[in-house]
Amino acid sequence: MIKNYFKIAWRNIVKHKIFSLINVIGLTIGLSASFVIGLMIYHEYTFDKFHKDGDRIYRVVTNYETPDGKFYNPGITLALEDAIKDNSNFETVNGFYEKTSPTVQNKENDIVLKYPSFVIYTTPEYFEMFEYKFLAGDIHTALNSPNQVVLTQSRANEYFPNQKPSAIIGKTLVYNKDFNVKVTGVVEDFKERTDFVFNEFLSRPTILNTSSKDQFTNKQWNNTTSSSQLFVKISPSASLESIQEELDRLAIENEDKEMKTYGQAQRFALQPLDDIHFNSYYGIYDWNRGIASKSLLRNLGLVAMFLLLLGCVNFINLSTAQASQRAKEIGIRKTLGSSQKQLIGQFMGETLMLVLLSALLSLALTKWLISLFSDFLPKELTYSLLGTPSIILGIIVLLTIITMLAGFYPAVVLSKFNAVSVLKNHLAVGQNKAKLRKFLTVFQFTIAQVFIIATLLVSKQINYLLNKEMGFKTEAVVSVYSPWSESELIKKERYVQKLKAIPQISKVSIGGMPPASLNTNSTSTSYGDGENEVRSDLELLFGDTNYADLFEIKLLAGRMFLNDTIQELVINETARKTYGFKTPEEAVGKQLNFWGDEKVEIVGVMNDFHQRSLKSDIKPMALRGDWYRKNGSSQFRAIHISLDTSTSEHLDVVLGKIETAFKSVYTEIDNYEPIFMDETIAHFYNREQRISKLLNWATGLSILISCLGLLGLVIYTTNRRVKEIGVRKVLGASVFQINVLLCKEFLILVLVAFVIAVPLAWYGVHDWLQDFAFKTGISFWVFVVSAVAMILVTTIVMSAKTWHASSSNPVNALRSE
Amino acid sequence: MYNKLLSINDATKTVNSGSNAVNILDKINLQVQEGEFISLMGPSGSGKSTLLNCIGMLDAFTDGGYSFLGEPVHSMKEKNRSKLYKEYIGFVFQAYHLIDELKVWENIETPLLYKNYKSSERKAMVADMLDRFNIVGKKDLFPQQLSGGQQQLVGIARALVGKPKLILADEPTGNLNSAQSKEIMDLFLELNKEGVTIIQATHSEANASYGTRIINLLDGRIV
Repeated sequence: MIKNYFKIAWRNIVKHKIFSLINVIGLTIGLSASFVIGLMIYHEYTFDKFHKDGDRIYRVVTNYETPDGKFYNPGITLALEDAIKDNSNFETVNGFYEKTSPTVQNKENDIVLKYPSFVIYTTPEYFEMFEYKFLAGDIHTALNSPNQVVLTQSRANEYFPNQKPSAIIGKTLVYNKDFNVKVTGVVEDFKERTDFVFNEFLSRPTILNTSSKDQFTNKQWNNTTSSSQLFVKISPSASLESIQEELDRLAIENEDKEMKTYGQAQRFALQPLDDIHFNSYYGIYDWNRGIASKSLLRNLGLVAMFLLLLGCVNFINLSTAQASQRAKEIGIRKTLGSSQKQLIGQFMGETLMLVLLSALLSLALTKWLISLFSDFLPKELTYSLLGTPSIILGIIVLLTIITMLAGFYPAVVLSKFNAVSVLKNHLAVGQNKAKLRKFLTVFQFTIAQVFIIATLLVSKQINYLLNKEMGFKTEAVVSVYSPWSESELIKKERYVQKLKAIPQISKVSIGGMPPASLNTNSTSTSYGDGENEVRSDLELLFGDTNYADLFEIKLLAGRMFLNDTIQELVINETARKTYGFKTPEEAVGKQLNFWGDEKVEIVGVMNDFHQRSLKSDIKPMALRGDWYRKNGSSQFRAIHISLDTSTSEHLDVVLGKIETAFKSVYTEIDNYEPIFMDETIAHFYNREQRISKLLNWATGLSILISCLGLLGLVIYTTNRRVKEIGVRKVLGASVFQINVLLCKEFLILVLVAFVIAVPLAWYGVHDWLQDFAFKTGISFWVFVVSAVAMILVTTIVMSAKTWHASSSNPVNALRSE
Repeated sequence: MYNKLLSINDATKTVNSGSNAVNILDKINLQVQEGEFISLMGPSGSGKSTLLNCIGMLDAFTDGGYSFLGEPVHSMKEKNRSKLYKEYIGFVFQAYHLIDELKVWENIETPLLYKNYKSSERKAMVADMLDRFNIVGKKDLFPQQLSGGQQQLVGIARALVGKPKLILADEPTGNLNSAQSKEIMDLFLELNKEGVTIIQATHSEANASYGTRIINLLDGRIV
């Protein structure tokens, strides 16, 4: 029986090649997208699921409420740990401190690691909270005394290559050329996905040997660093409310007086273990890994779902439209004794076959897609993840759902045909389900149209972001950074001299970050003229006297500072308004109070420019020189170079010269990396660019699937109307008129879809634009363009069939009757 | 000596055509014994096909009684009814109604699938039929590749493969030429002699004369 069904199914698939192809393409696209996105969602949601009692493990974090808004810190004050250590609500309390050392040396083999990553100083409870498998050493004594370290196997291999874990125990590592630490354990790296990426666990008292010693000898409630982490495993009977109350009580009891006067409050909160991977407020330990975003995953899931639905709609539309061709077979089978259930089974089998075929294609495509979308996907996500049992189960469930969704309705419709009527050709099958097909077609095109409008508006905004005047020179400016460890200026100045010899360079300036960057350096300031005092944070920009000139920052009043080290400020317009000066001229000559009661004179006011991406407002800012150079801490890290764009010399040649100059000064450094200003700005919008790329794909694919479905329907209706077309032509209708006749009913559907799509797209994009402080309007022409584009595309697709039908000789159509 | 196969008492079939009800079949009384060969005659629209469909349980009388092998069909549930006709009734159509996507032997096999025969049994039964109708050589062809007469042979083979007691043939030779017609009618006669009850609807006097009994229908009534 089953064999017979599959045979029939296969022959039907082959017989109706075009329809099968349309179905398979649609389903394959939907399934491929679902597979990739499903893998991604599975990957992100399976971090740290393997810890015993993971649902009772929390990280204690700090939240600050200030008049300027809320701030978040993943760390806590070290004082808190002592205050809750003996609380019965907590089964285990583990505090650890992230800190790396400039060098760690295995003297025996003379292996030195510089700044090894993911090193923590932790209490022994860490291994109670998170279960590691000890390959060597004793879990109970490994971190009990100062100067002990436990290594993961991977890290152990770096320090002690090719040595057995048991052989490593008792060996010595020298930290920071300063103190010796004994290896007391080697643990297996976590094999499953985890954000606990630590490789080196030192016993916590060891921290007293390091520069962080003071924080531990003198624990202050008002001193919090993100390095000091605190994890708790709450006891099964504890209530989260009472723990929170206790934490609040501690926070209030130990409130800092100064914070209180400024209306700031420090509070502690419990962050569940499974929130760590997603919460960007607190972050994860491996900074190189982007934090997973639940909303991005949700949107991706929606895209996959829509694509799948579009594929299913094609299937439903084409199967019900084609029903008349299957009617005879259905009638015969019924007279031969088939029940309706058996027929439904047969048709579901056919659907299943198409779905399986598409699934196989998708599995192959997924491999390719994973590499295509590698910048979207987490690094560790590989094709082999598909072999995970729960993923396989998920795929089976998905295929079953798709088969039901696409196949059940057509199967019921087809199997309901009355045998007698069908065999006598009494039933005009297919016609009566036209309403449903229209509805589904409108649904498809609404989705496609929403995607089109959203794509256009998002790329319009991105275009706006990239092209909006930042307020300073962004073209043909390159910044070259000197090594961070270099605190003196001699080499930079030598480099500048060499650069000045290159004719294609128009200006050079030494300074800190360029005017717009992801870095901020700000200080709290106040301006007081007698009784009323204005307090404000002031962002600082460091540069020499050429800096403003190079970046073409205009001075509105006053002058630039006289030399690179004099304590003078040039503030921007926003700062001028914030401090309450009515005109730029009024600000000049006034004195600001800097943190620590320093008074600094404003000597000039400069134009406003964007310091960051256009998502944020312009903040009060000041340009200043390198005040503390004489103390040995220079703020000048970069050499900014403005290229002369009028020369005929090729850009590569000029860059080559800049590099040669760099290498001649910095002979011992090999990481020369020039950064273009306009690239930096483009980097601000990486996320938006990714959204745009995603939208482009979603749009393209949804248009493709929908148009294929439409083509299928047009082929079907046109074939049914061959006789009508013939008669009309005999009666004198032109090819064009017939084309219009055939396309009209579908174009109406496309228009209806457009009307529905407009508010949906408007709402979605409007919502998205709220992220931006500066945005383009949602213009009317975008909607017009997208509607016209859609109508054009659908007309062309339909014409592929209708043109042929309407231009054929009517005699052929009529003779075949 | 013969058992009663079916009996129809005062059976009526009414359909609504527009606002008025039309009796396609009007108070039909018919008793059929096993082994009979009945020819239904009458002009187009007299109700022959409807009567055959009702006997074959593809359609139902709207009024009156119908019992098959002593079981009351009119009061039966759909499931039992389909069981009954699957078991005992085979259909032969004027337009053959073979499934285009299936090969000859697969067409013949299809009714057996719905009767849940095992694969080996099915193969044997189909092979029997192919042998009997001398179409072994054509078993792997599709219906479209056969002549009308051959297609009808396949149709009859398919009707017979399940060993039904009753064959219902609706103008079985309607699409065939006279030589092919004669061949098919001779086949029916032979089957009848082997004990299969046959009810055929036909326009042709010549074909009707093969039957043991002729029933004339006019405007839904037996005359």
